[in-house]
Formats: sequence, structure tokens, C-alpha cells
Amino acid sequence: MKIKVGHIIGVATLLLVSCYSNNCPVDNMVTCNYGFYDSEGTAITYRDTITVTTLMPGYKTVYTYRKLGNITVTKDYPDEELVNQGYTESATQQRKDTILVNQLYGASSMKVPMSYFNEMDTLILSYKSITLKDTIKIKHSGYPNVELPECGTYRFHTLHQVTATDAAIDHIEISDSKVNYDGKTNIKIFFNGVVE
Amino acid sequence: MKINVRHIICIALFFIAAWSAQAQEQQEPVMPGEKPKPTKYVALEEQQQHLVFFQGFTLSVDGYGPVAMMISDYGTFEGALRLNLKNTFFPIFEAGVGRCSKEDFNTKVTYETSAPFGRIGIDFNMLKDKFQSNRLYLGARYGFSKFTYDIAGPAQTDPIWGGSKPFSMKGINCTSHWAELIFGVEVRIFRNFHMGWAVRYKREIASTKNDLAKPNCIPGYGYTTNATCWGGTYSLIFDLNWGMKKSHKRGVNIEIRDIPPTQVNNEENKKDNGEQTTDNGRRTEEDEE
Repeated sequence: MKIKVGHIIGVATLLLVSCYSNNCPVDNMVTCNYGFYDSEGTAITYRDTITVTTLMPGYKTVYTYRKLGNITVTKDYPDEELVNQGYTESATQQRKDTILVNQLYGASSMKVPMSYFNEMDTLILSYKSITLKDTIKIKHSGYPNVELPECGTYRFHTLHQVTATDAAIDHIEISDSKVNYDGKTNIKIFFNGVVE
Repeated sequence: MKINVRHIICIALFFIAAWSAQAQEQQEPVMPGEKPKPTKYVALEEQQQHLVFFQGFTLSVDGYGPVAMMISDYGTFEGALRLNLKNTFFPIFEAGVGRCSKEDFNTKVTYETSAPFGRIGIDFNMLKDKFQSNRLYLGARYGFSKFTYDIAGPAQTDPIWGGSKPFSMKGINCTSHWAELIFGVEVRIFRNFHMGWAVRYKREIASTKNDLAKPNCIPGYGYTTNATCWGGTYSLIFDLNWGMKKSHKRGVNIEIRDIPPTQVNNEENKKDNGEQTTDNGRRTEEDEE
């Protein structure tokens, strides 16, 4: 059998033409996906501004400033200027919190991160159109996951139970208990009212 | 496109094999005054009809896997036992041990496994002339490995709620199955000793799923970064003639009376003319031995 230069080049090209690519997820954090529905289960776009905060471990001091005929001001730090303006200051201890979703408007879903090591996450939903807030409690367990060493490590979760108050929420349910980067809706929030 | 050391070694080995093949084709010249040995000519097609079915066993070891293990994160020690049927079909069983030990430079995540694997399949010699000592073949394999792997990395830290836990998972069980398509060449170097290389296109069929981690590297298969991967072997091959009659060695079971009368006449004519033809279409018994 004669092996020609063409054969050599062909095989060498075959060996070299293998592009490298990894399939790492775009997001570097796994989030729980919430879908919005009306009370009868129709997917909706929620026409209100939602802010989601969560309670953190530990406490913080909150300073409240009141003055007759003026709006009450709350701050995380003492403000001498307001005291000089005639406001009365009162300090209270509160659970630490942080904003997870800030002023979400006209959305049909939202992504909220989950705690790595806590057994329960508490989310507080504030609405612009109503003064009442909703509290969602999610029981879950987390476990590490590695897709590829070059992608690093992730924290997946399994949802066990979810409950919610009823200020604007009719009811809530788990849709897919596995929280990973598949992008499926994990929790369905059914808001009050029906879309016509 | 990344050109790494593996590619360079593959190409280098290919050139060595090509050079060996050329060296095989050069025939020893007959010195002046020396009488060529008498030959009996049998047509190639006639010989192939009488080709002995069982041509013996072949043992081979891979030279590329250990080198890859020394210079990269993954390598194998493997050998193969092959049957030679009519110099055309080669049922083969391959077995070995694969080892992978890597740490990603950026994420500092480590992956380790070391386990045996097996492959079973068949090669097909594509050359028309089945008596050649050199072979060009296509093959297919089914591979499997049952192994455990360890993954460890930096501690996981919650960026929002805080807290940190060490990250280490040991002894995750997995069973993997895969398929391979093979293209390769093989040349005779000396007597029963052959060398050859093969390029392998591999596709993972199935692996045990685990919630914690996906196997990044399967012994005998390679990296699972993509759905398919390429591999290669450089084989040192020894022909064993176990179970073969001496007269059948790598050739035909044919006697002179089987040759058609026209060919015998041709042979006699050539003897008269004092010519010795050694074209590709005919072979001497001497060559076959």
C-alpha cells in the first residue's frame, strides 16, 4: 500500500480540526424560578412593582425618625441632621435583611437565589400598589454539584415545602422540586384575581 | 482550536508508521551472479479462495496511552487479543486500566479516577490484497467501564446569606457505556512483529446519573466535556500462530494441482524465458512465508 502525502495531510487535518468548547452554564448562581399565575392558573404578566427582600441571620439596629406632620423616616444609621431638624429618634433591633429582587415590574416570572446552607428561606414581597406585604417561606435542602471541573461548583436544591401569606397571593405551590440550571419553573405563585 | 502535545505526538507517530510502510515495500535486489529462487505463481483471486479461515491470534499493547499518562492528565495501560479470520475480519477484545487525575487551573476543582475498562468489537481489513502484511482497517467497538471517582475543590461560600462548607465528594459510583469507530493502519516491522496506529471517534452511550456530579473523565473513553471525543492508539502487535497448522501460516492451504492448467503453462513459459516477474497481482510462496 502506498501512503501518499495527501493521506498524511488528510489525517493530520482530521486530528487538528477539533475545536475546544466547554458547556458551562452562563449564570454562575443557581436560582429558584417563580412563575406568575392568576387564581385560576392562567399565566399572567403581573402589573405591579414587586420588591423581594429576605431575612438574613443576625440582627441590626434600625433608627426611626418621627416629627408631627412629616413622613416617618427609617434609616440603618443614626442621622444627626434629622435630630437637629426636630425629629425624634428611636432605635430598635430588627432581623437583618437584603434585597434580592428590586422593583420588578410587568414580569411573568422572577428568579430568586436560595441560601446554600439554611433549611428555610423567608422572602418578603412588597408591592407598590398595596401597603401589605406577603411572606413566602420555602423549606429546602441544598447539595453541591459539579458539571465540569472547569465550570466550578454549584449548589443545587430540593424543595420540600412552600407557604405564603395572602395579601396579594391567592395560593402557592411547588411545580418542580429540583432547583438547578435547567430553567424550569420551580414555584408557581397564584395571585388574587382572574384574568378576563 | 487548541494544538496540544497529544496532536503533535499523533502526527509524529503517523510519520513513523508511514516511513515503516515505505521501507516494507522496498524489495531486496538480486545481486549479480546470484540465482533467484524458483517460484510458483498462483493468481491472487485463486489464492484468496483458498485462504485459510483461521489465521491465528494477535496480541497487542498500546504505546500511546502510557505516554499520554506521563504528559497529560489522562492515560491508559491497555492491551488487546485479536483473532485473524481470513486476514479480513479481526474480532477483538481490548482491556486495560485508565487513570485520570486533573486539577482545573481556574476553579481549583480536582477530579480523580482509576479503573479497569473493556472493549469488544471487530476490525475489517480494507485492502484488496489480503496477503499483505500491512493492513488498512476500519473497526467498531463497544466499550464499558465500572468505576468510582472523587471530586474536591475549594469550600463553597454562600455569597448572600454567608457561611461556608468544605467541598469534597469521594467514591461516586458510575458505570459508563460508549461506542467507537476506528480507522487505522498496521505495518509489519519484523517477522511476527507489527506496529500500527489508529484514530478513534468515540460517543458516550450512557452513564449512571448522579445528582452530585457528572463523570468528567471515563477510563478507556476520555473526557466527557462534549458528547463525542477523539482518541488514538499506537499499537505494538505480535502475531501468535496458536491453533494453526504449520503449513497454513499466514497464507493459503493450496497445492500445485489446484492451479489452473493455463497458469502452470504460463509459469513454464516464463521459466523458459528466464524471467522472474514480481508484479502486484502475483505472489510467491516464499513471500507468503
